[in-house]
Amino acid sequence: MIAYAWLVPLLPLVAYIFLLALGRRAPEGVVSSVSVALTFVSFLLSAAVFVAVGSHPEAATSYVFHWLTLGSRSLDVGFSVTHLNALMLLVVTLVSTLVLLFSREYMRGDERFAVFYQYLNLFVFSMLALVISPNLLQLYIFWEMVGLCSYLLVGFWYFKPEAAAAAKKSFVVTRIGDAGLLAGIILLFLASGSFDDSTIFAKVAGHSLSLGWISGQALTTLAAILVFVGAIGKSAQFPLHVWLPDAMEGPTPVSALIHAATMVAAGVYLVARLFPLFAASPAALTTVAWIGGVTALLAALIALTQRDIKRVIAYSTISQLGYMMLALGVGAYAYGVFHLMTHAFFKALLFLAAGSVIHAVHTQDLFEMGGLGRRMPITMWTFLAGALALAGVVPFAGFWSKDDILNATLQTGHPVLFVFALVAAFCTAFYIFRVFFLTFTGEPRPAAQLQHTEWSEAGEGGPVMQVPLVVLAVLATVAGFFNSPLNGYGLERYLFADAPTGAGVLGRTFPENVGLMAVSVVVSLLGIGLAAAMYWRPVIRPASLANGLRLLYVVSYRKFFLDEIYGAAVVGTGRFLAALVNAVDRYVIAVIVRAVGRIFYAAGLFLKYTQTGQIQTYGVVAGCGLLIVVVIAIFRAGGVL
Amino acid sequence: MSGPLIAFYVIALCVLSCAVLLLSARRVIHMALSVGGVFIGCAALYLLLDAEFVGVAQILIYAGAITILILFAIMLTNHEAQEPPFRWNVRNVLSALGCLLLCAVILLSIRRTAWPVPDASVDINGGNSNPVAIGMALFKQYAIPFELVSLLLIVALVGAVLLARSRKEDE
Amino acid sequence: MANSGFPIPIGSVLALAAILFCIGLFGVLTKRNLIMVLVSMELMLNAANINLVAFSRIQSKPNLSGQVFSLFTITIAAAEIAVGLALLLAFFRLRQSSEVKDLDSHRW
Repeated sequence: MIAYAWLVPLLPLVAYIFLLALGRRAPEGVVSSVSVALTFVSFLLSAAVFVAVGSHPEAATSYVFHWLTLGSRSLDVGFSVTHLNALMLLVVTLVSTLVLLFSREYMRGDERFAVFYQYLNLFVFSMLALVISPNLLQLYIFWEMVGLCSYLLVGFWYFKPEAAAAAKKSFVVTRIGDAGLLAGIILLFLASGSFDDSTIFAKVAGHSLSLGWISGQALTTLAAILVFVGAIGKSAQFPLHVWLPDAMEGPTPVSALIHAATMVAAGVYLVARLFPLFAASPAALTTVAWIGGVTALLAALIALTQRDIKRVIAYSTISQLGYMMLALGVGAYAYGVFHLMTHAFFKALLFLAAGSVIHAVHTQDLFEMGGLGRRMPITMWTFLAGALALAGVVPFAGFWSKDDILNATLQTGHPVLFVFALVAAFCTAFYIFRVFFLTFTGEPRPAAQLQHTEWSEAGEGGPVMQVPLVVLAVLATVAGFFNSPLNGYGLERYLFADAPTGAGVLGRTFPENVGLMAVSVVVSLLGIGLAAAMYWRPVIRPASLANGLRLLYVVSYRKFFLDEIYGAAVVGTGRFLAALVNAVDRYVIAVIVRAVGRIFYAAGLFLKYTQTGQIQTYGVVAGCGLLIVVVIAIFRAGGVL
Repeated sequence: MSGPLIAFYVIALCVLSCAVLLLSARRVIHMALSVGGVFIGCAALYLLLDAEFVGVAQILIYAGAITILILFAIMLTNHEAQEPPFRWNVRNVLSALGCLLLCAVILLSIRRTAWPVPDASVDINGGNSNPVAIGMALFKQYAIPFELVSLLLIVALVGAVLLARSRKEDE
Repeated sequence: MANSGFPIPIGSVLALAAILFCIGLFGVLTKRNLIMVLVSMELMLNAANINLVAFSRIQSKPNLSGQVFSLFTITIAAAEIAVGLALLLAFFRLRQSSEVKDLDSHRW
């Protein structure tokens, strides 16, 4: 079965090519049915692969083919299936299938419906191919391809200036990270002579990485940090997180698939996959942990005050990705991956539910919604499941994974990061229930009633939209049990079957950490309670609280002014440099160029008088030339005479 | 001095004097007549060199057709045109000097070259008369160039007709 | 003559051709009338023909190639003069002139 894993990414590619051949006027039903069906087959295959790998406890199974030879080094292509890859395949295909199904209704009537599905299929193909790439070069190729698909899909409604700008921003910002990743890959290749993971890991473990100017520990750290820069860009970690909230300009299914469940998790996946490299460098691991912790807290704080439903969830995504990085950084490899999986489910669910709401009321502003629970019960209950999972309430999925991360952080001796994560958990519970209460409870806001005549017809989408919601809600509820004491931490055992060396198994026994579990649940419930007190049964008036903490409120609402700071620092510097270069170009180079032009123009002014148009004059000149040639040929050079 | 040699010098004298006459002629019509003299002189030279067919073709084509064509062209254009008197301006001086020098150089090199001694025992006509031998060569050895030249003639003919035809927009 | 062969020395024939050629060239370069220029060109072609015929008759291995080539040259000269005169007529109709100095549309 494992030998057929290459079919998994191939099927979406087939769908993509098929849709391309059908053209952009293809009927919506055909387009979406083909896509969903092929992706679903992909999902079944991945499930089979997942099970097959589970019974194969040995290390990665790779199938590679020689591609080309560079000097003495040879490059391979192919695919490799590890336990981590198999899990990723399963998650990606599952979420993709549901999102493709959901889009069928959500995008109905869009002029470029077929194009949308083309892009989505291309994305699914790239993402799956990224996951099963056997070496870093191939991974990088697909890494860029998912970036491209993200760009295309964020800018799908390119006629909206915000969408076009957001697409550009996401592309440029992730490019900064990609440059780091590419540099890291090249560095590893130069130092180890291979793009292949296992070769690199062997060299790292044997401390035999070396270059002329750097070697040993410093080289490992440098390479790990550079690779991590790529992960920062892709996974929207501080300080390169600014693109993800803007990317919400894309259609909501895109946000659910790419910017919550799969592509942004690629950064986490990359760090998990190259974990032995990071494990060999404590400095790199510490960097990962701190970036993750700071991101988790910062994004959660920003999410507290945002008005746009999708932006709240986007910041939540950044925050949760921070948690995953934190887990990897403290060495809890399995927990990071576990959280990646549960997060994929409940965050895709939250986005799709938000999409369902937006589909119904045509606004994204929280303060224009309200009272939708009565009209959209399925959306409300599924959103509630996702919110509880995100907040980390027993027994929903997020509880198990988040609790594991908190536990690992504390046990490995990072108290500051533990506090960060705990505060972030409180904020998480608060902001997601703020969204919940503002959207689904209370009365419809009067402003909204005036603005949107469709309000009275707002209601559930068809069954096509409800099925993915329900499936994801079930998963968000139960996915946590994959790795709970109830099944003896099954996922951990699964992952550790071929876990990279250096991924620490954290000593943990169930009864001892009940205290910590209780703390985290209490913190979550406190956050939920505060949200309820402010927005459900208004004990505390939000406005007065915001006025009381005016400064903090503004800082959070304006996203810590990071966009403005980047604008001033990066863009300003760029403008200044550009002006400098422009001046050099205009006053030095252009002057030289113009002078050269003038010289030849002046020469032309004089030489034009030789062009009299009199053929006999030309004939005389040519004849004299002929004479000279003949004379030289006869008397000097040729020696004819 | 054998007969043919004397005949050669006489013919050469005729040809060159006709050519000089052509240069000095002021009226176009005189010029056309003197060029006819040159053509006939050349034909005589060919006959003298045992190239009977070429000589006859020369008379037919050059002395006959081309001279008449030129006369027609003169009549159709400005047939009263007179060549202005020769002026020694820079261009003409340069042309004269160049031509003289070229002539001198060529003559010098002809004089200095050791020409191979002709073998008179070979009959270039291979036992046939000269027209028969040329016909054989044209249709056997040179069949393809011959056909190509016929094509060229057709093209030139059509081209000449197209060019000389008065166009609608001119009227 | 020293040899028992052909009575006319080859050098003289070639010299005649060379002189004829140079006269033609001079005419081409100095004549003001287009017809005269064309005629001078015919002189140059004739000079070349004389060379060809002379080489056909007078060389170490005489053969007919020179004569055949001179026939080709004559044919091409006929084609050339036909096209040339057609151009001349067209030009005359356009400019009412047959002077070389009026052929100056490519002047700066």
